[in-house]
Amino acid sequence: MNRRDFLKILGAGTAATSSLAAPLARAERAPRVVIVGGGVGGATTAKYLKLYAPHVNVTIIEPKREYQRPYGSSEVITGQIELEDIVISYDDLKTRHGIEFVHDTVEAIDFEAKQVRTAGGQRLGYDRLVVSPGVSFDFEAIDGLTAELAETRLPHAWDAGDQLLVLKEQLESLPENPTVVIGPPPNPYRCPPGPYERAGLIAQWLLDRGDTQARVVILDPKNGFTTDYTMLHAWNDLYDFNIPEPARSKYSDEEWAQLTVHDNPGPIEWVMGDMGGRILSVDAETMTVEAEAGTFQADLINIIPPLKAGRIAIDQDLADDSGWCPVDQRTFESTRHADVHVIGDACIAGAMPKSGYAANSQAKVLAIQLKALLAGNDPVEPVFQNTCYALAGNTEVGMFVADVFRMDGDTIARVDEQRYLPFDATEAEYRLAALYQHNWMKAFTEDCFS
Amino acid sequence: MTRRLIRGATLALATGGAVAALPLHAETTTATDPRGLMAAQTCAGCHGTKGYIEDSAYVPLAGMPRERFITAMESFADGSRPSTLMGPLARAFTDEEIAAMADYFEAQPKERARAIDPASDQTTGQALDPEEN
Ligand SMILES: Cc1cc2nc3c(=O)[nH]c(=O)nc-3n(C[C@H](O)[C@H](O)[C@H](O)COP(=O)(O)OP(=O)(O)OC[C@H]3O[C@@H](n4cnc5c(N)ncnc54)[C@H](O)[C@@H]3O)c2cc1C
Repeated sequence: MNRRDFLKILGAGTAATSSLAAPLARAERAPRVVIVGGGVGGATTAKYLKLYAPHVNVTIIEPKREYQRPYGSSEVITGQIELEDIVISYDDLKTRHGIEFVHDTVEAIDFEAKQVRTAGGQRLGYDRLVVSPGVSFDFEAIDGLTAELAETRLPHAWDAGDQLLVLKEQLESLPENPTVVIGPPPNPYRCPPGPYERAGLIAQWLLDRGDTQARVVILDPKNGFTTDYTMLHAWNDLYDFNIPEPARSKYSDEEWAQLTVHDNPGPIEWVMGDMGGRILSVDAETMTVEAEAGTFQADLINIIPPLKAGRIAIDQDLADDSGWCPVDQRTFESTRHADVHVIGDACIAGAMPKSGYAANSQAKVLAIQLKALLAGNDPVEPVFQNTCYALAGNTEVGMFVADVFRMDGDTIARVDEQRYLPFDATEAEYRLAALYQHNWMKAFTEDCFS
Repeated sequence: MTRRLIRGATLALATGGAVAALPLHAETTTATDPRGLMAAQTCAGCHGTKGYIEDSAYVPLAGMPRERFITAMESFADGSRPSTLMGPLARAFTDEEIAAMADYFEAQPKERARAIDPASDQTTGQALDPEEN
């Protein structure tokens, strides 16, 4: 049975009981949109829906009283900013935009009754439900990793919160010239340039401390990452980093010839997937990491486990076997349950990455689509954007990926060609990208939350 | 920064190559064009909601005269105006979208957007209504 048939049956089933009541109810009460999760996707949907369709009743269900932004949070570890700098108040959404908040955790969704139930026992009915719960972590995928250890010895620090402080403290108490192992997750994951930016920040931090013999080893299951073309080049320059031979195909022959081979390479080593970078197990007692390439003894281990959609999406049957949520990519309506829309990191959105900018862009499109759908109109043809800035490590050297997306059939596809800083970018351009990166944190936060 | 990142002296932004700028047809769009809203809202993640932003390295777009917006986007696209990422972004929008965005931003007040009066859809202006037109 395809989705259309399913909807027909569903429609036929409810028509008899609601045909009389529906027009009356519609005239009497404002449409209700309930949003699960007050992160980037949820907050932006709520704000823009209120801007575009103020008559709609919008409620966010979110356990946290204040949001902590994951974007730009690695700088907490290396001390450029404090934890309090990533805390965002919900006051503007509440008072300026008239969005209702229920500070609670959604435990179950009744798709038939169109109701959600919270841990605190509240039931909230909806006409349309938006689910933007972010990510959860698949600790079982790596032997020796557990949720408990992530709070203590082996923090991933990939969802803001106190793990950032644990990692910061571990960094600050490292012995001289330590070995740090960073384990980026396999695709897909939130913030594709993020693990590499973090590696750069930590390398710079150690160099600034005077550790000339430190090692920052990236054990990677992958052979590439968004912004690799710029990041590897910048590291080659800043950190005497030798770009591994298997990465040669990322550059033209002419470009490759301009890169430096360092006799005394600096701290960063990138063990690519093809070089055996995939991590098999970790031992928090002995502080060793077993990868396909061999055993690595480390003083600090920052493994980011494979990611999946937020728990609630998995528990409530919104995710498929991949661990992520399939949706109609024009409207973000779940292909598994009608009248429920999934956006942000949790959804499968074609070529769009799992980033804050993408979640924000999807949320605005969703606000337009919800307004249309609630009024019984057809959805609108969407346009999306993603701009992610990243730092090389040195916080004055920035880079970016910038993409525009449109529908290609039923899938969101990237339409631009050039997307990174060019190979021969000037120092001023790297500096400008870093300046924009720092300004973006405030500008973007305001667009989502103020 | 202690080390030079520069390898070649080539001017980077010329690399985009000249993309033929097609004439923009102002008559075909209005401030209520839904394409304007759809495209313009993608800018807000940096340039602020409805183009309103304060104290930022990003240029505010709210209230910008339409010709200025169009000229900026055209010159980002053909590389004649240097940029970091505006070149690739400008090249990815159609002329019609750029004209519609220009109309949209010109119509926006130079102050913060809010849903002041939830009782009335009018407060956010017809220009914002994706169902208009
Ligand atoms: C180190 C790092 C750096 C990053 N840098 C960038 C960057 O530079 N640019 C960029 O664009 N992106 C960046 N990101 C990615 C960005 O933070 C995420 O993509 C974005 O937050 C995703 O938004 P979301 O709404 O899907 O999830 P989130 O923002 O994580 O929000 C999910 C919310 O849902 C709530 N929730 C979960 N379950 C429930 C439930 N059952 N009931 C109620 N509420 C629930 C959670 O409490 C949370 O507040 C970075 C991420 C990291 C980790």
